[in-house]
Amino acid sequence: MVPAVPPPVRPNPVRAYFGNIRRAVSSTFEGMTVTMSWLFRRPSTIQYPDRTEKPVREMLPETYRGLLEVDLSRCTACLLCAKTCPLGCISIETCKHPDGAREFQTFDIDNGLCMFCGLCAEACNFDALAHTREFEASVSSAEQLTVRFVDRPGRLVAKAKDLPPRRPRGSILAALIPGFGRRRRRAAPPEPPASPAPAPAAGAEGPENPEGTA
Amino acid sequence: MIPEPVRALLFYLCAGLALAGGCWVAFARNIVHSAFALLATFAGVAGLYAFLSADFLAVVQLMIYVGGVLVLILFALMLTSRIEEARVSNPTIGLVPGAVVLIAVSALLVYACVKEFGGTTDLPPGEPTTAGIGDALLSRYVLPFEVISVLLLAVLLGAVTIAGGRLRKPAPGGKPGKERP
Amino acid sequence: MNIIQHVANLLIRSVFHADPASWPWTWLVQAVVIGIAAFLAFAFVAIFAGPVSWIERRIAGRIQSRIGPNRVGPQGVLQWLADGVKCWLKEDLVPAAADRPLFLAAPYLVFTGMFGAFVVLPFGAQVVAADLNVGILYLLAITSLVVVGLLMAGWGSNSKWALFGGVRSAAQLVSYEVPSAFSLLCVVLLAGTLSTQGIVAAQGGWPWDWFIFRNPFMFAAFFLYFTAAIAEGNRTPFDLPEAESEIVAGYNIEYSGMRFLFFLFAEWANIWIMAAISAFAFLGGWQIPGIAPEQIAATKGWEFVGWQALSWTIFLVKATFLVFVVIQIRWTLPRLRVDQLMITCWKYLVPLSMLMVLGVLVLLALVPEGGGADTILRGAMVGLGLAVVLVSALRVRRTFRVDREHYREMEGRDLWYPPYRLP
Repeated sequence: MVPAVPPPVRPNPVRAYFGNIRRAVSSTFEGMTVTMSWLFRRPSTIQYPDRTEKPVREMLPETYRGLLEVDLSRCTACLLCAKTCPLGCISIETCKHPDGAREFQTFDIDNGLCMFCGLCAEACNFDALAHTREFEASVSSAEQLTVRFVDRPGRLVAKAKDLPPRRPRGSILAALIPGFGRRRRRAAPPEPPASPAPAPAAGAEGPENPEGTA
Repeated sequence: MIPEPVRALLFYLCAGLALAGGCWVAFARNIVHSAFALLATFAGVAGLYAFLSADFLAVVQLMIYVGGVLVLILFALMLTSRIEEARVSNPTIGLVPGAVVLIAVSALLVYACVKEFGGTTDLPPGEPTTAGIGDALLSRYVLPFEVISVLLLAVLLGAVTIAGGRLRKPAPGGKPGKERP
Repeated sequence: MNIIQHVANLLIRSVFHADPASWPWTWLVQAVVIGIAAFLAFAFVAIFAGPVSWIERRIAGRIQSRIGPNRVGPQGVLQWLADGVKCWLKEDLVPAAADRPLFLAAPYLVFTGMFGAFVVLPFGAQVVAADLNVGILYLLAITSLVVVGLLMAGWGSNSKWALFGGVRSAAQLVSYEVPSAFSLLCVVLLAGTLSTQGIVAAQGGWPWDWFIFRNPFMFAAFFLYFTAAIAEGNRTPFDLPEAESEIVAGYNIEYSGMRFLFFLFAEWANIWIMAAISAFAFLGGWQIPGIAPEQIAATKGWEFVGWQALSWTIFLVKATFLVFVVIQIRWTLPRLRVDQLMITCWKYLVPLSMLMVLGVLVLLALVPEGGGADTILRGAMVGLGLAVVLVSALRVRRTFRVDREHYREMEGRDLWYPPYRLP
């Protein structure tokens, strides 16, 4: 015994026709009212970068893997980082003084090569090499992608016994990258909640991108 | 009023456009170029109509021929494969019969032109023609007008029959209505 | 006498000290004045296209809850200049396999078709380039050049996407020309003329004198025309010829630089043209409430200029409002499928617009203009229009209020952010 399946209800074609028209009109009307109401709503997005309440890098988590920086005053030139790097983007050269002290010749990190895997920072035993929260890496020429951390000749390699405290993260990059702080942040618009416009963001937390906005 | 030399210049521009377009249509190796050259011909003829103070005709020429006929021709061309090969699209067949037809038709045309429109006539004044055409179509020429519409209806029905018949035939093993020619 | 002859005669009298009627060079001065007017119209297209592209992007931003371009100039108002300069400086690329002459000629043909339509648009009481007797027909005819241009671009690019786009666009234009012509036929029936100025003159300044509120069939015909015009302009939801998700960018995919810009110009110009046609054919055009066109024509000197400017402003406001509606529709409705597009046209718009023509004819025979029934009908239609506006305003308010509560709970601040305050 086959269960009685009711035959599929074929809609009345005339009713379907005019029902389609009615639905087209009403759904268009409905949609138009909805989109119209969005014209009166606060946009969800915030203008990057200069309308944010604080610099974007300060909103990133502490463990964010941004541009690498090294605090040479804590670096023992053990070359662990350079050897761990799968891409070879860290190049370190030292030379020996007659008295046994070693001096940095180069400590370059090629940000064009770096893939921000974090292996080097993990390998560093003295918290010298670390990721910052700086991510605006655009520069105006390919050479500038390589950050040269040896800022003056005669910078000696640190001894593991007496290490100075780590300088704040990002401050070293900020000092190194040219053009930092030159671009002033535009004041946020006065209206959305009366938070004062942040001051020009020079300071502790890494460079501001000179070209910046796009 | 625009002086005579300027009018003549504009007239010959329109006529030249129509003629050059026609030549291009006939002599182009690529049939798509021929089709696009038709545009120049139609536009030139529309200009000539405008010169004859036939404003309605000029605009309708543009609307029907450019907007309708030309677009249909282009459609047909673009839906045809290998259309750019001159061997497929415009093969040369029968030079002698072609010449005979050409001579006969042009003789007929020249004869008709000279006989009917020989000499010069004054241009009719630039008056709106729409009302007159509408009047004539719906009173004196209403029968031919309706006959033509019946013809168009027949064409439509024929097209639907040809296309619909092919669509309804169930393909072997496939769903009905999906068959491609 | 239109404004071009007016200006030309004025020039001849003041500069050349001659009588325009008998002076042999009158035609030349007129030709120069017409050329200047054409240049102004051209500049209008270009200048209109620019800011409207910015406005559209800002509106799109707000509708999508984002901000939109606001970096070039104050609030981004100069974005269009930056875009224009960018396109200008780009390489004018012609694909190696393209059909070179067709590829190069297509943008200009498209633009000519759009630009030609400006000839008969009645901008103001006396401001129209040429008041042709067959104005409406001319509008329908000259835009067919656009179809040929699009097909030319599609073929000349020698790219399958471009060809698809061109063929789709042509199919769409040819199909939707039928309902739009039928809807305009309703207008022509009521006005008794094909001339654009004649159609405006047959209406009046007050809403109950507009054709849209003349009777229910005209009310429907307006929306049918508007739908068909959006489709003819390849705008969303009918933008199949440039559907990004299917055929990348359609007929203009191979174009770059200025030629690409010409396609965009044509698109923006087309929005304006369709809005202007709707405005003058259904919404009373430039008619100033309470002032008859004859009174305007009879004024002299600065008063004349003032009335002209007022009529121009009224027309621009109406058309700009419709442009806004077109933009909003673009960000409201999703794109149709090809078969849905054709079904919409041939199964719905065409029969309905024929029905509207019949209805208008019947009412034209049954309800004499100016009689009591006519007055009641117009009043009812104006009431209907007001009701539509009111209901939609209330719906907007309701939609907004519901979300306002949620927003305050979640974000702790007010959702209200008026459209005039640009973020």
